[in-house]
Amino acid sequence: MTEKTVTVNTPLAKTFGWLHVNGTHLPAGESAPEKRLAIACGDEKILILNEAVRLKAELEDNAVFRLIQVRYAEEESRAVNDIQVTCGKDAVFEWYRVILGGRATYDNCSVTLAGAGSRFEANIGYRLEGEELMDMNCEAIHTGKKTESLIRASGVLFDRASKLLRGTIDLRRGCAGAVGNETEDVLLIDDTVRNRSVPVILCSEEDVVGNHGASIGRLDEDLLFYLQSRGIDNASATELMAKARVDAIIRRIPDGQLRAALLKED
Amino acid sequence: MSETKTHIEDVNRAFYDFRFEEKDAYRVRSGLTPEIIKEISAEKKDPDWMRDFRLNSLEIFERTPMPDWGPSIEGLDIDNIVTYVRPNAERMNTRWEDVPDDIKDTFERLGIPQAERTSLAGVGAQYDSELVYHNVRKEVAALGVVYTDIESALHGEYADMIRERFMHLVPPTDHKFAALHGAVWSGGSFVYVPPGISVEIPLQSYFRLNAPGAGQFEHTLIIVDEGADLHFIEGCSAPKYNVANLHAGCVELYVGKNAKLRYSTIENWSKNMYNLNTKRARVEEGGKIEWISGSFGSHVSYLYPMSVLKGAGARSEFTGVTFAGAGQNLDTGCKVVHGAPDTTSYVNTRSISKDGGISTFRSAIVVEPKAVNSRSSVSCQSLMVDDISRSDTIPAMDIRTAKADIGHEARIGRISDDAVFYLMSRGLSEDEARALIVSGFADNVSKELPLEYAVEMNNLIRIEMKGAIG
Repeated sequence: MTEKTVTVNTPLAKTFGWLHVNGTHLPAGESAPEKRLAIACGDEKILILNEAVRLKAELEDNAVFRLIQVRYAEEESRAVNDIQVTCGKDAVFEWYRVILGGRATYDNCSVTLAGAGSRFEANIGYRLEGEELMDMNCEAIHTGKKTESLIRASGVLFDRASKLLRGTIDLRRGCAGAVGNETEDVLLIDDTVRNRSVPVILCSEEDVVGNHGASIGRLDEDLLFYLQSRGIDNASATELMAKARVDAIIRRIPDGQLRAALLKED
Repeated sequence: MSETKTHIEDVNRAFYDFRFEEKDAYRVRSGLTPEIIKEISAEKKDPDWMRDFRLNSLEIFERTPMPDWGPSIEGLDIDNIVTYVRPNAERMNTRWEDVPDDIKDTFERLGIPQAERTSLAGVGAQYDSELVYHNVRKEVAALGVVYTDIESALHGEYADMIRERFMHLVPPTDHKFAALHGAVWSGGSFVYVPPGISVEIPLQSYFRLNAPGAGQFEHTLIIVDEGADLHFIEGCSAPKYNVANLHAGCVELYVGKNAKLRYSTIENWSKNMYNLNTKRARVEEGGKIEWISGSFGSHVSYLYPMSVLKGAGARSEFTGVTFAGAGQNLDTGCKVVHGAPDTTSYVNTRSISKDGGISTFRSAIVVEPKAVNSRSSVSCQSLMVDDISRSDTIPAMDIRTAKADIGHEARIGRISDDAVFYLMSRGLSEDEARALIVSGFADNVSKELPLEYAVEMNNLIRIEMKGAIG
């Protein structure tokens, strides 16, 4: 009998089948507890979660929701995380996702910017080592006018780590004045790593702007040389620059205590 | 600022929509069966291996599913497509006066003989399923350059060279329409440029599909040997019919060590055409492939020229422009596989969507573990002209070595008000400013085309701007 599977991280738009990035098949039955959240008009909420979750959140007009999720290096298990958020008028959703380890992390974050002037910001930082895997789908669906999204990802891969990030900005008809931006900065340390990026912009509205920029590669040799000329050995310089990639995201975390703790231990 | 917008005209197709009465000499029944494949094979006097290859490809076609990721091709019923139509002409003429009058008139109207006289080293002209004319300048032939129809070459001194390479870069198992091509291919060109030879002026093949409800499945095989240099131009057009036509050609390009090949295409199929074409190049050490691609026609396109950078230091450049108007869904882009150290790729595309047209840029950049010190840069820009059209950008990157530098940028937007304002402050009217911006947007790519091809381009892109102020 074949094992039942469930497909996670299915993107809004598929690409060539041979790239094997149009979703991930996992054994059925692995499911995080489901949470439902409604944030009332004008309320602000910060939620810090260290475990995977299935979360559906409705943000009423002017509501602000900041979700901080950190996955620590000592976690060996597989985590399947699913966040679905709908934003009302002028509502703001900020997602801070820091992955510092864990055997395999499967994340989906889908945000619908339905209310005019609503905003979504994703800050994704990761440091993957050994055989670690990160497989993420992050999408901003713009349906409201003058909505804004920013997907910002910055990370580093060591050893045989593998990362797949599908980021989608979907500018749908009627979202006039919307702006979607996505940036990705990936530092590759070892020759055995694998980085896959699928930055998608879908657009069916004229009066919008969608931008994507990605930089993927090795350490800047000039910078490395400079650091070495200042007495910092190769390993320390590499570690310094790797840490800077993740710290760039950690510094944006709105919880001071957590931010300080992560910057200290990272 | 005024709410009114610049009007951008569709590509003017009237130039290509003339047609002549069908006077084909032979055609197979519509649909696909082993009997039809054997009939085509017998008609073309295939060697045994090719007949077996066709039948094997048909089996692959039948068991291969339709792609599940691109534009809908539900309107295409292969059972209604006639896969082989031989025009009423000798298979291949080397004298223009021997080509039948109606076919000759078709190519005269498209300006092909004139272009041959003025700016080309050789010309091939395919009408429906067969090449009807092929010629190469004597001084070019004297250099050892071979430019002929692929079927003649299959029976001549280059038979082994073709057998070793035919559908090796694009095997029938690649996808469903590669398998279809393997089963029913007909016509196309074979080019061989010997080592060290630089062909100073381009060769051109022109493909014209005249028969309604037919398919065109030409195969182009080009070998540019070590240190050689070639520019090859491909043009395609068809009159518009109310039934679906299908183009599933295949292009295989072998670029040798330190060789260079520029492959330019201006595709202007009619808007009833399903353009499911496959193009692929393999580039050896120090070699370079340059793709220049203009996609203006067809109802649905799946077109992603692929470069396999096999040798150290191999390079690929892709420059493309896509214009999708009413009723068109053009899914275009490119694929690059970095398979050796020090390889580089550069992708630069523009797309324009209007009147409900859909343009999609789709790409794949793969850097294999052994491709250390490879670099890739991808830039794609899309212009939305109205709010009933659609423009998507779907790039993918798969990087498997740390010793690589990969950059990607994409932008989708409309005509910038700031740019219009700036130009107006320099004395241009609003409509002039918008016209300048739009033509500049497409010009970034069209300037890469050879000067002598500008006439063809001018016939294809009639982006007319008119002010709508007040």
